[in-house]
Amino acid sequence: MFRLKNVTRRFGGKAAVSAVSVDIPQGQMVGVIGRSGAGKSTMLRMINRLVDPTEGSIHFGDVEVSALRGAALRNWQRDCAMIFQQFNLVPRLDVLTNVLLGRLNHRSTALSMLNMFSREERIMAIAALERLGIEQTALQKAGTLSGGQQQRVAIARALMQQPKMILADEPIASLDPLNAKVVMDALRDINEREGITVITNLHTLDTARNYCERIIGMSAGKVVFDGAPRDLDADAVRAIYGTGADGAEIDESMTSTSIRGAGAPVQDNIKESAGVKPLALAGI
Amino acid sequence: MANTTAGNAIGGLGPAAASVMQHYQQQLRTRRIYSLIAIAVFLVALWASLDFANAANSGKFFERLPYVFDFIRNFVPDSPMEIVRAMFDLPSPYDDGSLKYDYTSERVYVTENFYIPHFIYQLIITVNIALIATILGSAIAFVLCFFASTNLVGAGATRWVVRRIMEVMRAFPEIVIAGLLTAILSIGPIAAIVAITVHTIGALGKLFFEVVENADMRPDEGLRAAGASWVERVRFAIVPQVLPNFVSYALLRAEINIRASTIIGAVGGGGIGEVFRLAIGRDHAAKTYAIVILLFVTIIAVDQFSAWLRRRLIGNQSFEFGRGAA
Repeated sequence: MFRLKNVTRRFGGKAAVSAVSVDIPQGQMVGVIGRSGAGKSTMLRMINRLVDPTEGSIHFGDVEVSALRGAALRNWQRDCAMIFQQFNLVPRLDVLTNVLLGRLNHRSTALSMLNMFSREERIMAIAALERLGIEQTALQKAGTLSGGQQQRVAIARALMQQPKMILADEPIASLDPLNAKVVMDALRDINEREGITVITNLHTLDTARNYCERIIGMSAGKVVFDGAPRDLDADAVRAIYGTGADGAEIDESMTSTSIRGAGAPVQDNIKESAGVKPLALAGI
Repeated sequence: MANTTAGNAIGGLGPAAASVMQHYQQQLRTRRIYSLIAIAVFLVALWASLDFANAANSGKFFERLPYVFDFIRNFVPDSPMEIVRAMFDLPSPYDDGSLKYDYTSERVYVTENFYIPHFIYQLIITVNIALIATILGSAIAFVLCFFASTNLVGAGATRWVVRRIMEVMRAFPEIVIAGLLTAILSIGPIAAIVAITVHTIGALGKLFFEVVENADMRPDEGLRAAGASWVERVRFAIVPQVLPNFVSYALLRAEINIRASTIIGAVGGGGIGEVFRLAIGRDHAAKTYAIVILLFVTIIAVDQFSAWLRRRLIGNQSFEFGRGAA
């Protein structure tokens, strides 16, 4: 069980996130939606402790994440892998090394400095790349890959951390629809097969509806919606995004990145049991 | 510009545009006057400083100017071949037992029959000083620079201390440090190596940390989120980005250091600089020309080589950062 208790973060006088309390059971796939500046990124970065909360506390099981320091903090960061909108790979290193960097916290610094990774770790890295369908790029420099490929390298690196939780900060915001689908399918596959909690910030409502079993809507730093995709009706959307200047409703088809076309069916996305659904990646 | 009220006073412009035009012309006039004043002040200052330098010189520059060619006219070797003989330590036909024509006594024998000519041996000493100093200096600057970078070290005190250390190190010219050290370590290459190393640490350290501060921090953030320690983040997120620029700067420094070690030689650092000072002071024309030619060739060769190496190592991407961004 993962729990945010009354978490607040202020930048100067402005509260980016204010008094957020959320419980997330292990293995849930959660989508966080909201306007730009609603505090979605700040919340995710506080969970990974890239940003410290001003008030409140974050708990994972019995551990108070928000109080960790030093090596214990780095162990927590290893356990909750993070995926970024801009991938945050090391562009000059090859893909395989980038993936291996996910192991840094599992091994001694001295060996890492010399770039000495074990045979098992290399096999693990290739397997992770293979799972994401990009093993043929292993020896290229990460900077030469396309955006979709880079994001999959980032996911492979996250897998190498053997995390308990994956945080994805707008993972598909700079990708085309097909690559967005590949990346989201990969996240869902990880969530279903390994039972890893996935919390992902999303810009598009239909992606959240299609992939997440729970949606959290944020507005001005506060949680204004928390429920299943089925419950995300027009009123809820208005509460999250507000309405346009002329009071017009938000047309979901405007922002849709779905390949099947807008107007995805309202669904629950509740897993019957992990692994029953066909593996999403098999189709790509 | 007396007519300020009429809308179409200037070339059919509207009232607002005409007023803008007027302001613009006023500004232009002011700016021109300031420019003229600045040029006048500059010329006066230039004349004054030249005059002062001329007065401080023991001979008067303009009075001595006609004699500039006298030195060159008198300072000629007995024959052009003498330069070659001096360069390669071959016996001279003019040998009268004096030091001037004694090219052979300082040969450096490697085996029974094979020797390295004296001046070339001295040149190797000079280049060696520069290379050792560059390698040592770059290595120490490499370690220091990360502690001086705003984006890597949060503690202002650490940065402040490291930056001041670098500043002090580059504040003293090599020749000053060398002069101090020759008093302690006695004359020789060790003093020169230490002097150039110290200056190199200061100069390269500054360039290095500025490169580090320009690095893309997204890879660093990615590794931080993966639980990497500070050292690991520097090693894998920062070093791969900055290394090509570091190498480029270190090679440039190597070129500069070869010139520096030549000059230090002249104040007692050993090497080609020292023999050059002796040769020109003793009026040994052939030796002097031999050394000048050797230096000239060496410096051009080193410049060309390091330019070629830099191109090979980093291609055209040397100053591109963050190519990973989509």
